Amino acid sequence: MGIQEQYRSEAAALLSSGEVKLVIGFGEGSTADRRRPLFARTPEEAQKFVLDAACIANLSTYLVTEGLLSDGKKVAVFLKPDGIRSVNILISEAQLKPDQVVILGYAIDKAEITALEGRNISDFSLGEEIRSHTPPPHILQEAERIEEMNPAERFEFWKAHFSKCIKCYACRQVCPMCYCRRCIVDVNQPQWVSTSSHTLGNFEWNIVRAFHLAGRCAACGACDRACPVNIPLRLVNYRMGKEVIDAFDYCAGENSSQKPVLASFKQDDPETFIL
Amino acid sequence: MSEPFEPKIVAFVCTYCTYAGADLAGTSRLKYAPNVRIVRLPCTGRISPMFILKALQKGADTVLVSGCHPGDCHFTAGNYHARRRWTVFRALLAFTGIPEERIRFSWVSAAEGAKFAEMINEITEQTRKLGPFTQYQELQKVIETQSTY
Ligand code: SF4
Ligand code: SF4
Repeated sequence: MGIQEQYRSEAAALLSSGEVKLVIGFGEGSTADRRRPLFARTPEEAQKFVLDAACIANLSTYLVTEGLLSDGKKVAVFLKPDGIRSVNILISEAQLKPDQVVILGYAIDKAEITALEGRNISDFSLGEEIRSHTPPPHILQEAERIEEMNPAERFEFWKAHFSKCIKCYACRQVCPMCYCRRCIVDVNQPQWVSTSSHTLGNFEWNIVRAFHLAGRCAACGACDRACPVNIPLRLVNYRMGKEVIDAFDYCAGENSSQKPVLASFKQDDPETFIL
Repeated sequence: MSEPFEPKIVAFVCTYCTYAGADLAGTSRLKYAPNVRIVRLPCTGRISPMFILKALQKGADTVLVSGCHPGDCHFTAGNYHARRRWTVFRALLAFTGIPEERIRFSWVSAAEGAKFAEMINEITEQTRKLGPFTQYQELQKVIETQSTY
């Protein structure tokens, strides 16, 4: 039995026994190589699940839908390791209760797809794997190229990219960590971030987004894929992730009990830049 | 003849240490550059990175953020939290090409009036050398660029 069949029947069993009220997975997409989220509430609907190497989205973002888990019932969700990592982060930020989430885990290696053992978040240990994980070479190369530039060149690089931003907030919408009911860019008293379509406002927005995700990003790449104008958000995310590892020896989502990095401190944290 | 450049410096300081230090500089009749506009806040932990962006948006050439030395925070740990935040924010600004000299951080205690005055003089001189932060202020004028994507 392939993994798709296995997870279809497992999802159906979870629904018919009433253990979960909803299973979040993938269904057919608009083209042969795309998948779209499918929300199954009955065993029949669970037969429509598709699971293959095209299922790259991070579905954990739906878990923080307002009110979804407030009735105390459970939800099952199809997750890759980066999705499991974001669940860890959400639990450590008290946005999810570990027992309300049933994980149907899978891993994609090129075109191969395998099922992951374990159903509860506590069954997965990601620590070593994500800490030693290096991003694909093209991201590393791009990030290194930017580091080697002088500040003026870096500024021009990002100015060219951020000037394209249309403030659609797709990057925010797909991100499992962007669960704030009221985002700072929507605050208008005071208006922190300029809303008009000049590049300054886009610059501010992108800086704020990156800062608010520093030490929280699961590196799932969803924002980067969602951006309609191809701003390389992966580069800022990668740089921020590297900063918290280098400065504070902290890797977001290693487990669900860590304290968020910017909500904790050590007395001997580095401070070479302070006069 | 155009006016000579006078740096605009915005300083976000905590009321218990750096503001008291600035006050001491004043009562000790220490002379320091008049280019700094001080914004007093309860604690460095209250100084959001948004303040820094706002100051730049409104035309600051350099921003200074300053508070109590580690261990001296009136609220025990506000400055430790702030320090982590600054570390990350500073790395982010550097990565996006905002020069590190434009955003400065310091610890100034209530007894360090002289340090405050010297520091403001030094930052003012440095900003004078760097010139106005037009690179950032000009962004306001960039409405749209032609792009291929
Ligand atoms: S910032 Fe982007 S890569 Fe990071 S968790 Fe959010 S969507 Fe995923
Ligand atoms: S998805 Fe891209 S264009 Fe849309 S707000 Fe985010 S960075 Fe801007």
